[in-house]
Amino acid sequence: MERTGHSGRRLGYAFVAPTLLFLVAFNVFPLVYNLVLGFTNAELVGGGAEWRGTANYARVFEDPGFAQALRRTGLFVGCAVTIELALGFAVALALRERFRGRGALLTALLVPMMLSPAVIGLFWNLILDGNYGVLNQALGALGLPEPQWTTDRDFKFLSILLIDVWMWTPFMLLIALAALNSIPGTLYEAAEVDRASRWTVFRRITLPLCAPLLGLAALLRATDALKQFDLVMAVTGPNDERTQTVSTELYQVLFRDQKVGLGSAYACLVLVLVIALATVFTRVLDVLRREHA
Amino acid sequence: MRLVRALVIALYAALALLPLAWLALTSLKTRADTIRQEALFVPVLAGERAPAPPAFALTGEAYGKLNEVHVGAAQSFWQHLGHSLVIGACSTLASVLLGTFAAYGFSRFRIAGAKDWLFFVLSTRFMPPLAVVVPILLVYRRLDLAGTHLGLVLLYTAFNLSLSVWLMKGFVDEIPRAYEEAAEVDGYPLLAAFARIVVPQAATGMAVTAVFCLISAWNEYGFAMTLNHSGAITVPAYFAGLQGSIEGMPWPQVAAGALVFVAPIVVFTVLVRKHLLRGVTFGTIKQ
Repeated sequence: MERTGHSGRRLGYAFVAPTLLFLVAFNVFPLVYNLVLGFTNAELVGGGAEWRGTANYARVFEDPGFAQALRRTGLFVGCAVTIELALGFAVALALRERFRGRGALLTALLVPMMLSPAVIGLFWNLILDGNYGVLNQALGALGLPEPQWTTDRDFKFLSILLIDVWMWTPFMLLIALAALNSIPGTLYEAAEVDRASRWTVFRRITLPLCAPLLGLAALLRATDALKQFDLVMAVTGPNDERTQTVSTELYQVLFRDQKVGLGSAYACLVLVLVIALATVFTRVLDVLRREHA
Repeated sequence: MRLVRALVIALYAALALLPLAWLALTSLKTRADTIRQEALFVPVLAGERAPAPPAFALTGEAYGKLNEVHVGAAQSFWQHLGHSLVIGACSTLASVLLGTFAAYGFSRFRIAGAKDWLFFVLSTRFMPPLAVVVPILLVYRRLDLAGTHLGLVLLYTAFNLSLSVWLMKGFVDEIPRAYEEAAEVDGYPLLAAFARIVVPQAATGMAVTAVFCLISAWNEYGFAMTLNHSGAITVPAYFAGLQGSIEGMPWPQVAAGALVFVAPIVVFTVLVRKHLLRGVTFGTIKQ
């Protein structure tokens, strides 16, 4: 019943127009505005911005802090996604068989991903505290070293990674379980007839058949981890060179230093990167979607 | 092999659930008990004498204190929860309605460049809030929207449209077109057919979409803290704002507040558990 008539087509546009206008106003407009601001010395308070040409962009490229934040965000995304995927998949393999109380356990395991990162990140400060934190007390009782998790320069980044892994492994677990469930049992029966070893079955059946959905999970998680802001703000704040991500660096420049011009130039470069990645990701998502339709 | 599995499950469950247990225990302590040098993890009913570590006297005072206005804040937790409720509910309603309209349009009409538009809609989800917030803040200041409920409602509606459109498109695509065709033959105007036939059949999908929109609006922090310093401050921005206050963090209240704050989300998630996968994968996995 696809409506192709003149009035039908116009009605179709009436249905989609409000959404598209909304998104243009809140996404395309800031993009363009950022582009303009990036060429000025605008500040958050007080008007009178002057045209500065490409000076801001020159500073962005000269300042090692910006490149550093980009690299650190990349490292964070890489580590977080890899660990969460591996751990989530391993736990899914263990949870595959049904047992009593499995449903309730699964629901409980999913709770970390429902929490607000800003709030729970704050609470983790209490757990990780070097002096009275319960983690170090437990480590001490086991005779293990007790690092200053949130203040030692070598452990800050690790602490944030740890909280992220705690929060988002359930996400990988959820999708990995679905992937395992989608494998037809007949394949395993056939493998048993062929007397294939456990490892062969895993490598030839389980892993390849789970791969598309695991890829999807990694993709979705990566796009989220790229925006990492809440946990860093909660644990170390926006101006710690050891944990600086792209988002916290932007926060520091825009809201602490109040340098809107410079921040906008940086935001533009980040957006170019994000749009490029988003284009690739949405196409991959589309392919997966068609495979699973 | 069974043993290995049981071990993996037990170990992971312990690591995942212990922080949650600590959250619950902390919410039942006095502040002094939360920062003791020796961990207190055995709750006992309060008696005449203070119990010896690792026992501590249970108290519900943190939940009562959620009523108080903390030093450095202007409102109590409950008032901030009110802001979160208003903003979460309104933006969820708006994004589900707009998303359903758009999904219907994309599903049933031939729209020029439909595929590209859908990708554009999805790509808006990837924008880091901090990269687009300044232009929005400058415009909001001019329109007096900074620090208002409406400001965040509009923003969260826009932010959640990507999710709403993609999820609803999947649900609307599944509704057989025969009903609408029959309605058309019967002479129903298109809008009446949409309201009477499509909306009721898409109701489950709309409820599922609403839950996932609510979760993102509920937990959002980046926009909330940069746009609303005063006025309609949501719970995540409120708690984060307590950092660095002279009195130190009120840990029991933080824990109690975190639990109260996540409770509705857990309830809603359990209600839509059959559609969980669909929700977290933008409708890619249909179960």
